[in-house]
Amino acid sequence: MNIVARIKSACMRESSFFMALPAFIWQLIFLYVPLIFVIVASFMKVDEKLSLGALTLEHYASFTDPLYWVVIGRSLLLAMCAAIACGIMAYPVAYYIALRATRWKNVLLFFLILPFWINLLVQVYAWFFVLEKNGLVNTVLLKLGIIAEPLRLLNTPFAIFIVMLYCYLPFMAMPIYSILERFNQRLIEASLDLGATPWQTFMRVTLPMSLPGLKTGFFLVFVPSFGEFVIPVLTGGGKKLFVGSMISLYYLDAGDTQLGAAFTMLSGVVLLIVSLFLNWLFKRIVRVSAGGQ
Amino acid sequence: MRNIKIEGVTKSFDGDVILENLSLMIPGGKFFALLGPSGSGKTTLLRLIAGLETADSGKIFLGDIDITHMPINERRVNTVFQNYALFPHMNVFDNVAYALTIRRVPKDVIEQKVIKVLRTVHLDRFIYKSIDLLSGGQQQRVALARAIINEPDVLLLDEPLAALDLKLRERMLVELIELQDQLKTTFVYVTHDQFEALTVADYMAIMNKDGCIEQVGTPKEIYEFPTSVFVASFVGTTNIVHGTLHIYDGVQVVEVPELGKLAVVAPADKVWAVDGNKIAMSLRPEKIDISKTALEGFSNMLRGVVKSIVYHGRSTQYNVRVSDDLILQVFEQNEEHFPQEVIDYDDQVYLYWQKENVVLLNQ
Repeated sequence: MNIVARIKSACMRESSFFMALPAFIWQLIFLYVPLIFVIVASFMKVDEKLSLGALTLEHYASFTDPLYWVVIGRSLLLAMCAAIACGIMAYPVAYYIALRATRWKNVLLFFLILPFWINLLVQVYAWFFVLEKNGLVNTVLLKLGIIAEPLRLLNTPFAIFIVMLYCYLPFMAMPIYSILERFNQRLIEASLDLGATPWQTFMRVTLPMSLPGLKTGFFLVFVPSFGEFVIPVLTGGGKKLFVGSMISLYYLDAGDTQLGAAFTMLSGVVLLIVSLFLNWLFKRIVRVSAGGQ
Repeated sequence: MRNIKIEGVTKSFDGDVILENLSLMIPGGKFFALLGPSGSGKTTLLRLIAGLETADSGKIFLGDIDITHMPINERRVNTVFQNYALFPHMNVFDNVAYALTIRRVPKDVIEQKVIKVLRTVHLDRFIYKSIDLLSGGQQQRVALARAIINEPDVLLLDEPLAALDLKLRERMLVELIELQDQLKTTFVYVTHDQFEALTVADYMAIMNKDGCIEQVGTPKEIYEFPTSVFVASFVGTTNIVHGTLHIYDGVQVVEVPELGKLAVVAPADKVWAVDGNKIAMSLRPEKIDISKTALEGFSNMLRGVVKSIVYHGRSTQYNVRVSDDLILQVFEQNEEHFPQEVIDYDDQVYLYWQKENVVLLNQ
């Protein structure tokens, strides 16, 4: 075989690798290299001339201040609440659309993913009309006589939570839906046939089998909402700091690249550790619900 | 053992009537087969008994108890599903133990029972295996074990062997018969495969395309004495010949255009078998003898020309043209180790059969 033919056949064999190459290179140059810069920067001393100098741990030393941990803890709590609430809200919707809806299935699915198509800022401002002082919620509650004075809804953690829940709901619903859509409904029949009640069937068959979807959805909500920046700033009034707003403070307002990088690293590592723990927890739940021991 | 009695059951889906005013008695403690072509509603009937569907009207009894509206999880009826419907997130043990776990039976009792039932289906070596590591035949056994562990009054089997290869299917059929013999549970076996139905059944019912029961009886009755053209041609292979019945001085013959008079026996219980009536005859291919020479001692003889020969292994099928619009199929057992008459394409042959082997059918 001549050399040209050899290269040709090698290209054919490895064609999928060559197709994947642009994405790899793109990620390498524009994501991993800058990420390494961030890591390096977090360990660098800065002198007066702002030129990079010797290695140091001094940026990390400042994290003994509990303030940083309060911010990280608050973000974790918010992300956790958002992910759990999304799970509770999205599961019945996904279940209904995947297994029960027949004629309106595609329409319902469309409305579920519609927020994807709308600019995030537009979505957030739409919530202003709902949550502001003379907004929809207050107007309705006042008219019904449930409250005497308008509630303060906007610029509270509650507002952040509500808007986050709304924005991230599709990320939770879609993976659950895709699992349930492929779910063999004969399994439900088999369970009922073997004497289980509908509730037992749900707890022992349907729910355990949709856990992979719940898990994917959980991380799709949990990870981005941990670092979420836009929603806390716009609907939270910027009063309470979260990881995302903290990082933006360092980089954009204070211009303290080194400390910003160090904080980014710290929160990233915390997120990684928590995610690994949650991942392990999910696996255990799957095993327990399957094996019963 | 309690009988299943179905009384005037009607079931339709979206205005499409699947079963209409269907009545059937399934004897308790027997192996009962429901045989019918695809779309005949046999699976719907099974699902009605299981409680997976509710009848529009009519009643279903198990013994004296009306189970028409009894919730599925309270019926002492278990099902082996067509594609097994095993729980993929559980291993063999947990699948089989499911019905007992649900009822919070003590753990040690569950373990004993699971081991016992897995031994019955020859699967005790795979007790803690994951479901997707099992072969089709093994999954079939798990489904069986899971359905019988609760000792149901009725075991429903919905085309349980459809996904298995022929050899395995034949073996499973024998094992199913043995299992039924051992458990004495009422088995209701749905299939479109007449071979399976004839093999396993103590009694069987034939359903036609319109969802009506055509005939109920033992496999032998169904095969040898079909009561309709549909049953005769659906169960096994047969030749259907149309003609007019004549009775001359007590001698019964069927006059067939171009073929002349063929001798038949009309049983007294076939009240429609009167002189001058148009009828159909069913003549099984294996009841016909084929030869190139003239033979004595048969009540019927036809001459014909061999149009095609199909070799089946244990038998050979000859398609013989006996008139312009009639070709008869003949099965002849193969016997290559002794000298045999060689019959070839376009040979002139004689076909012989006894009049007792002809089944008269009302048109």
